[in-house]
Amino acid sequence: MTTPLLDITGDVCPMTFVKVKMGLQAIAPAGKLNVRLKEEALKNVISSLKTEGHQVTNVAREDGIFLLEVTKAG
Amino acid sequence: MSDADYKELKKGGMMRQAEAGLFSVRLHVVGGRLATTQLRAIQDAADRFGRGEIHLTTRQGVEIPHVPQSALAAVKEFLAPSGVGVGVCGPTVRTVTACQGCRVCPSGVIDSPELAEAVDRELYGKPVPHKFKVGISGCVNNCMKAEENDVGIKGWIEPRWEESACDFCGICEAVCPSKAIVVSAGDGKLAIDPALCIGCGDCITSCPTGSMREKIRGYRVFAGGKFGRRPSLGRRILGVLEKKEEAMAAILAVLDFFRVHGKSRERFGDTLQGTGFPALETFVKERTGLP
Repeated sequence: MTTPLLDITGDVCPMTFVKVKMGLQAIAPAGKLNVRLKEEALKNVISSLKTEGHQVTNVAREDGIFLLEVTKAG
Repeated sequence: MSDADYKELKKGGMMRQAEAGLFSVRLHVVGGRLATTQLRAIQDAADRFGRGEIHLTTRQGVEIPHVPQSALAAVKEFLAPSGVGVGVCGPTVRTVTACQGCRVCPSGVIDSPELAEAVDRELYGKPVPHKFKVGISGCVNNCMKAEENDVGIKGWIEPRWEESACDFCGICEAVCPSKAIVVSAGDGKLAIDPALCIGCGDCITSCPTGSMREKIRGYRVFAGGKFGRRPSLGRRILGVLEKKEEAMAAILAVLDFFRVHGKSRERFGDTLQGTGFPALETFVKERTGLP
């Protein structure tokens, strides 16, 4: 099964946070979600993921856009 | 009353108003914090001795304006049982300002009210060459404007890099607001420039692998700031300090330097224009042994 992709490059805080939260609701525990986001959103998105026990398990980048592989808390 | 008498009253927090015979009575407040019982007493005093008016000062202080000269002793006596003291003005260490600090604010790094209380106990109202202001911000968001004060303190997070956990994703470099981090994934290197680091800890918050960690969660000292007619910003001195006692020692040493080098009616920032910041830093380091 391919990992679902959530693109929030067109969003700003707090929608970035809200969309990631909603995106993860559709994922099973310990499942993966790819999140495509702009540099500006990194700090808030990652810190809220960590607070809720999720993990960023892979990071890729292309011209100021980051692709995070998020593994949902088990 | 002579000018000398007015000066003495002013030092004791009783400021002559434009209108003859009236005074604005400054109260002793630390970090903008008052108990509700104290607020009630201040309210009653303003009703009884002033005109039912209270002035909130720019630096978290409280004044009761429009108090007649004949009532100055009475207002002091009236407030004393509630633990409200009269403030200071003139060439003294002034109101110590502080934010709510880490016990209240989610961004807080240090307990700023606790340090403010300690500084106040040690220094409030002490004579100095010219007015001397201390302000304490709990973090680098700097709500208390550390650089505006003769000595300012900021809660500060110094990061360290744990190489073994790092996968060189570059997020710390991307989130750093001051471009203090350079990641060279190819060489397996990462450098943090301490001169550029602003102590925000964003790199630590954002690091997916936990390889950016807190080295010190502590205090950063800024010296020589002021506003007034010719504003200048304080500059940081010393390394990041780990303990409240070290911050206190640094403040005391800075004040000693001002007492040695400052002329009467010369703000500390102007003194430093003459001596230079390195002289201050050397003095403080020698006196305290701090980094």
